[in-house]
Amino acid sequence: MRRLPWVSAGAVGLIILAAVLAPHIGLADPVGMDVAHRLAGPSPTHPLGQDEYGRDVLSRLLWGARTSLGIAFAAAAISCVIGTILGVVGGYVRGIAELLTVRSMDVVLCFPPLLLALLVVTLLGPGASTLVPVLVIVYLPSFTRVAYAGVLSVRGHEYVTAMKVLGAGRLRIMTRTILPNIAGPILVQFSLAAASAVVLESGLSFLGLGVVPPAPSWGLMIGAARGTMVQAPLLLLWPCLALTVTILAMNALCDGLRDMLDPHPAARRVSWFSRFRRRAPTAPLARVEPDTVLDVRGLSVAIGDPAEGRYAVRDVSFQVKAGETLAIVGESGSGKSLMSLSAIGMAPAGVEVAAGTSGMDGADLLALAPGELRKLLGDRIAMIFQDPGSSLNPVHRVGAQIAEAIRAHRPVSAAEARERAVAMLRNVGIPDPERRARAYPHELSGGMRQRVMIAMAIANGPRLLIADEPTTALDVTIQAQVLDLLAALKRDGGLALLFITHSLPVVAEIADRVAVMYAGEILEEGPTAEIFAKPRHPYTAALLRSAPQDDGPAPEGISGTVPVPGDLPAGCVFAPRCDKRIEICDETRPSLFRIGPGRSSRCLRWASL
Amino acid sequence: MEWFAKRLGISVLLVWIVASIVFLAIHLVPGDPAELLLSQGGAAPDPAIVEDLRDQLGLNRPVLEQYLHSMANLLRGDLGNSLMDGAPIAGEIATRLPRTLELIGAAALISVLIGVSTGTLAAVAAGGPFDRVASALAGLGLSVPVFVIGTLAILGFAQTLRWVPAGGFVAFSQDPVQHLIMLAMPAGTIAVGLSSTLFRVTRSAVLEVTMRDHVRTARSKGLSFRRILTRHILRNALIPVVTVLALNLGTLLGGTVLVEYVFNWPGLSGLLVDAVNARDYPAVVGVVLVISILFVTLNFVVDMLYAVLDPRVRHG
Amino acid sequence: MSECLIRGEGMSRSFHGGGFFRRGRSIQAVSDVSISLSRGEAVGLVGESGSGKSTIGRLMLGLMPLSGGRILFDGDDLAVLDEKRRGALRRRMQMVFQDPYSSLDPRRTVGSQVEDGLSIHGIVPRGERGARVAELLAQVGLEPHHAARTPHQFSGGQRQRVAIARALATNPDFLVADEPVSALDVSVQAQVMALLADLRSRLGLAMLFISHDLPVVRHLCDRVVVLYLGRVMEEGPVSEVLRAPHHPYTRALLSAAPSLHAESRRERVVLRGEPPSPANPPSGCVFRTRCPHAIEACAAQPPPLEPREAPGHRVACIRHDIG
Ligand SMILES: Nc1ncnc2c1ncn2[C@@H]1O[C@H](COP(=O)(O)OP(=O)(O)OP(=O)(O)O)[C@@H](O)[C@H]1O
Ligand code: SF4
Ligand code: SF4
Ligand SMILES: [Mg+2]
Repeated sequence: MRRLPWVSAGAVGLIILAAVLAPHIGLADPVGMDVAHRLAGPSPTHPLGQDEYGRDVLSRLLWGARTSLGIAFAAAAISCVIGTILGVVGGYVRGIAELLTVRSMDVVLCFPPLLLALLVVTLLGPGASTLVPVLVIVYLPSFTRVAYAGVLSVRGHEYVTAMKVLGAGRLRIMTRTILPNIAGPILVQFSLAAASAVVLESGLSFLGLGVVPPAPSWGLMIGAARGTMVQAPLLLLWPCLALTVTILAMNALCDGLRDMLDPHPAARRVSWFSRFRRRAPTAPLARVEPDTVLDVRGLSVAIGDPAEGRYAVRDVSFQVKAGETLAIVGESGSGKSLMSLSAIGMAPAGVEVAAGTSGMDGADLLALAPGELRKLLGDRIAMIFQDPGSSLNPVHRVGAQIAEAIRAHRPVSAAEARERAVAMLRNVGIPDPERRARAYPHELSGGMRQRVMIAMAIANGPRLLIADEPTTALDVTIQAQVLDLLAALKRDGGLALLFITHSLPVVAEIADRVAVMYAGEILEEGPTAEIFAKPRHPYTAALLRSAPQDDGPAPEGISGTVPVPGDLPAGCVFAPRCDKRIEICDETRPSLFRIGPGRSSRCLRWASL
Repeated sequence: MEWFAKRLGISVLLVWIVASIVFLAIHLVPGDPAELLLSQGGAAPDPAIVEDLRDQLGLNRPVLEQYLHSMANLLRGDLGNSLMDGAPIAGEIATRLPRTLELIGAAALISVLIGVSTGTLAAVAAGGPFDRVASALAGLGLSVPVFVIGTLAILGFAQTLRWVPAGGFVAFSQDPVQHLIMLAMPAGTIAVGLSSTLFRVTRSAVLEVTMRDHVRTARSKGLSFRRILTRHILRNALIPVVTVLALNLGTLLGGTVLVEYVFNWPGLSGLLVDAVNARDYPAVVGVVLVISILFVTLNFVVDMLYAVLDPRVRHG
Repeated sequence: MSECLIRGEGMSRSFHGGGFFRRGRSIQAVSDVSISLSRGEAVGLVGESGSGKSTIGRLMLGLMPLSGGRILFDGDDLAVLDEKRRGALRRRMQMVFQDPYSSLDPRRTVGSQVEDGLSIHGIVPRGERGARVAELLAQVGLEPHHAARTPHQFSGGQRQRVAIARALATNPDFLVADEPVSALDVSVQAQVMALLADLRSRLGLAMLFISHDLPVVRHLCDRVVVLYLGRVMEEGPVSEVLRAPHHPYTRALLSAAPSLHAESRRERVVLRGEPPSPANPPSGCVFRTRCPHAIEACAAQPPPLEPREAPGHRVACIRHDIG
């Protein structure tokens, strides 16, 4: 959460203060006329001059603030209280109460606010006593809606159900659990409504249908000064300025409040657009065996500026060969996704590759120009992600999304691409592919969507497929289908598969080799069967003991949590949770020891395990 | 299709409710409506005149009869006669409505063009100089009330610089160029606020969509920047833009009333403001009703647009 | 078997399409499910997403009305109890939720949330509540000073501990744990499971443990109920069901779960297709569209839940020959 927007809050406070104090600071009478000095310019007694009846402009401005803000805040406050009650009751009780409170407000919303106000003014006549009820009616629906929407989203949270389970009554839940959680948006709505009410009031007064002359009001002053704008433009400018500054301050306060309450403030600033500016080439590539598809060396990834030293991935190296599956396994937050995305030049916003090379076909993916990299992505390198629901664009048909991937890399006609897309869907085992190609993602089940993602990924026959937890969101029986499909693809196409998961049993099922990741480092790497049979790192061993199995002893678990980037232990990153720790572990950060053919471990005590 | 029929049904229902409320409003306020309409600054009106007005408005008959009568008239397109000059209100509205629609259309078009394009540019270069300047201007544009902009524009462009006339109207058939010149100022005035709003929502929607998973997928497919921006970001960002456009329709229509008044644009609002001043109830009801129906219709159109943009809406 | 604490008999629940315009299309989320738990007993409720697990949990807590059947708690029918008696029963049944991020109010300290149960039911005098909250936190392995923190200062596993402490505040007899470890890392899962097992034996809690994963329930539960599309496919002692699953669905579920050790891996039965929509379930056996053993007779009528050799082991499948 961010801090209160002090500047705008201070400005609004000052304006309110001026309005409150207007009668007490020895101003001239705002309605006292002095026709002899009409349209007089600034003078010591009248610092801002005199209007068309010779009344003091400064005094009228401040008294005008009193009128405008008084009406606006009164109306906003009343509609806030009533609207919130209606919205909360409608949203929480539902049923008939919802119809009476929330749906009835939709009718008010059928009238443009100013028109509604004019209708009432015609009936009741102009004046402040008409304006307040009018504005209350105008803003009531917005408060009801905000409160209602807030309640609907809050009541979906399990903590509301938890209160019910605890036996709390409706009143208690509404006041103690729901209200505090929707107070933020309502506060924002209040300042919005107040600002908007000032505008509406001044607009009505401007038309001569709001505040009745000679009472001071900004709208009235502007309307009146129009007649003399050529002789006395200042007379027009002062109230315009007062009105604009007031609204500006109130709007800024709204924005500030919204930012302050926004749970994801960072999302407004950084974007991957900046990613199109790539960094310069780095170290030359190491020589690799011919069937190595991806060769990552010394990859380090920093969150924010590398100079701040918050590394989420440190000195990671690995190779994937054609026809091989390398699994990256580790707990949540260990840096698996970040590492694999960065390795192929797709580092997300806000993170930066600080060191390392990523070789593919003799080129360093991290040093390629954006255009060159783009030619590889989707063609020789493909990805599938954890959540197939959000990974497909909801507004395009799935067939079109696959065809688009084909046409980005192959010079084929639209019709041909569409045909190939259908063929790909058939390849991944989607029944009735012609019809499914015309479906939108939301019309498919989770398993189907993941198959669509896979079809899209393999459409151009990639050499490397990166799968980031592709089955985590799926049911076990569907997961089994997807794992089978991936295994078949690898077998038939000589695909290199980089498979990211947090599940060791899944690793055992599909991986040839496994790299265990923790706190941004690879702690152990080697052939899956060997590692599972004889782990040479305490973390691997602990993970293996944590997995639930359908026979054998009860899972044990590991106490403590994964350290966050920027707050790592000085020595071995796993030391605080390690059951084999010795004194030296807290001082020395172990390097990756080669402990056998194709095996390595980052434990100082690997030999004695 | 089912969805379309449902939306249409709801819109018709809303029009009916709106019409009923407008006609019944006079009976909902406390006190005798005729007396209320004639009361001027506390002085009790002449009983004979009150009786006369009551007769004219048909207030003597039972409420239900009045209601059915006016609904039937409405269906025939008859909005009654003005209290000021006895002329049929529907006729007057018919001449003025197209001018208001033209103004709204022009303002909306300018706003969408400016707001969406600058909003996108600002998002792509978020944090850069263009973004900062545009965002600050939009913040200002949102804060100046529309009648202030109009009045200051007249002071500046018409009175001081003498580039354009201070207001008025020439029929397109008479002098197309002059017509467009006279349209420019009021339409531009309305567009200041609306384009600022659209700028903001476009900017934040583009930024938000950019963070979504499916844009990452699009990148992983190796699509070009332009294609990702148009097909995968803007296309999805338009959905919230349309939502906000819909939410601002009411403000747009209200702003039009003020702007027409400021620039002497002879649309519906001149009629409305005069009628409110003269407390010509039938005329006010007529205009409010027509604009409200227009409002409901526009909302219906927006809903349709929504369905075109978002397949999830179509499928319920 | 010891005395029965809570018994759901023939529970059914359907949901309607909702809205004023779309009536008629109803979804049968749970049909004719019976589950009973005696004091101190833990029952696992296993099924894939959409099989009606959570609905059954909520039904048994009286959080939503039944469409059919009844629930007896200590012999009292929940539906016919008056408001006051039901309020008193509330205290005796509690719940732990799946998502540790959504199940705690982000704006209140965990202390005050744990205290809620105490104050709502007036269990502990106001002055002693602080001490009781500290005691509850200690019981789930947290420190007393954690009470002053807000949920976002905790990791997922710690939040789940807080949620458990909150549920324990009212001294319940019956606890519904709705996938309490699914959102956690394996390393943390095991600890939370161990905590639940420990509390269950120490406090004599009856526990309905909901999970989508059969191996997870193995060390915690005495019995397991396997659901598919809102119906019970198989139930029985955990060891029995895991060792010798009878129902084709249970077998598929077990074999689909990846296993750590290649030797112990069962022969893989990969099911075809996906679960049908609960709005339009197949006739007869609901599993028949994906069942590798389906025969024509399976479409005729829903197979009844019939006992097999081991005591308490019951299976809803007409093919006795495939055991
Ligand atoms: N865009 C980002 N900006 C800042 N920090 C980030 C960003 N992405 C990830 N991180 C941080 O980097 C660390 C590693 O995150 P990453 O997502 O790679 O982990 P993971 O192993 O994939 O976890 P999970 O199993 O939850 O997917 C975490 O501490 C995370 O909070
Ligand atoms: S180096 Fe020490 S602390 Fe780290 S894993 Fe090995 S034994 Fe444990
Ligand atoms: S009843 Fe038939 S379809 Fe159902 S599980 Fe048994 S064999 Fe399969
Ligand atoms: Mg990840």
